[in-house]
Amino acid sequence: MQGLTSRRLILISYSSRKVKEGKIVKIEAEFDEFIKKIRISGDFFLHPEEVLDDIENTMVGLEKDTGLDELVMKIQDAAGDAQMIGISPESIAMVLKEALK
Amino acid sequence: MKWRILGLETHDAYLNMAIDEAISESVRKGSSLPTIRFYNWEPNAVSIGYFQSIKDEVNLDICRELGVDCIRRWTGGGAVYHDFEGEITYSVIAPANVFPGNIINSYGLICGWLVKGLESLGIEAEFRPVNDILVKGKKISGSAQTRRGGILLQHGTLLYGLDLQTMFSVLNVSRQKITDKMIKSAEERVTCIKMHCNADKKEVYEALVDAFTKGKDYEIGELNMDELARARELAQGKYRSVGWTYLR
Repeated sequence: MQGLTSRRLILISYSSRKVKEGKIVKIEAEFDEFIKKIRISGDFFLHPEEVLDDIENTMVGLEKDTGLDELVMKIQDAAGDAQMIGISPESIAMVLKEALK
Repeated sequence: MKWRILGLETHDAYLNMAIDEAISESVRKGSSLPTIRFYNWEPNAVSIGYFQSIKDEVNLDICRELGVDCIRRWTGGGAVYHDFEGEITYSVIAPANVFPGNIINSYGLICGWLVKGLESLGIEAEFRPVNDILVKGKKISGSAQTRRGGILLQHGTLLYGLDLQTMFSVLNVSRQKITDKMIKSAEERVTCIKMHCNADKKEVYEALVDAFTKGKDYEIGELNMDELARARELAQGKYRSVGWTYLR
């Protein structure tokens, strides 16, 4: 599922997918040429939970066309030793790429 | 290690979740024993996972109309409809180092107690990772876990009865879309105690207490005054707050 609306030059886009690890990941992204803000939600588990804020913050400022591999690496770096259940850095990155299209 | 068992109580959603957090704090401080509690939700409620968006998951208009509370949990996972008549909820709160470090293994350990409880009622059940218990391939229980400050909190529901019509109406599926096909599809994936045995809710609860306490040193206890005061504070200041409810 994907939606797109325009607010001046900032685009707000939304993507949602049941990822291969089994849980649903939803991402709302605000961006122009760069990512301004993202919000990740879903029915997954992440321990410790606060790591999700770090992952979201790490994405801010990246070019919207940042490659999948680099997004995965950034998410892995932000996640550190956190345990992800039902999601993975790859899955988050794929849904984010979808939202940034 | 000695456990404290808190017998079946009924609270609203906000106090139920606040009690779990207040106990986590007191166990962390060492002022309370590791605790297992059983409880009901009244009014009926929808709880969403820590990472979910309440606007995405819950039909807030229908909840208001039906008097169903809506709350964000401290734990991840999906949205759950808590029906006073239709479920028993448990929480296990203890130092994380009592359990396997691997989260799925720790789900397996605690869910194993539920499986034993169901077996004692004559219901053959199995743990299905990550966090479900199935009977004949259908989900009868789901759990969610968090580990904060060295304390593990796992809570979960055991379905006693099913009210799929209400469940679908409060979760974010429009009334028009609640078709017979959807109900039938859910009935093929979800089950409840009533469909497998004649035990009343009290017997189910007693079976759970037996299974959860088997082999453990424990005492039947109650919330202390500090925990109750803290829980009331958390219920009002956190779990009922707009900031928490609409966190995502």
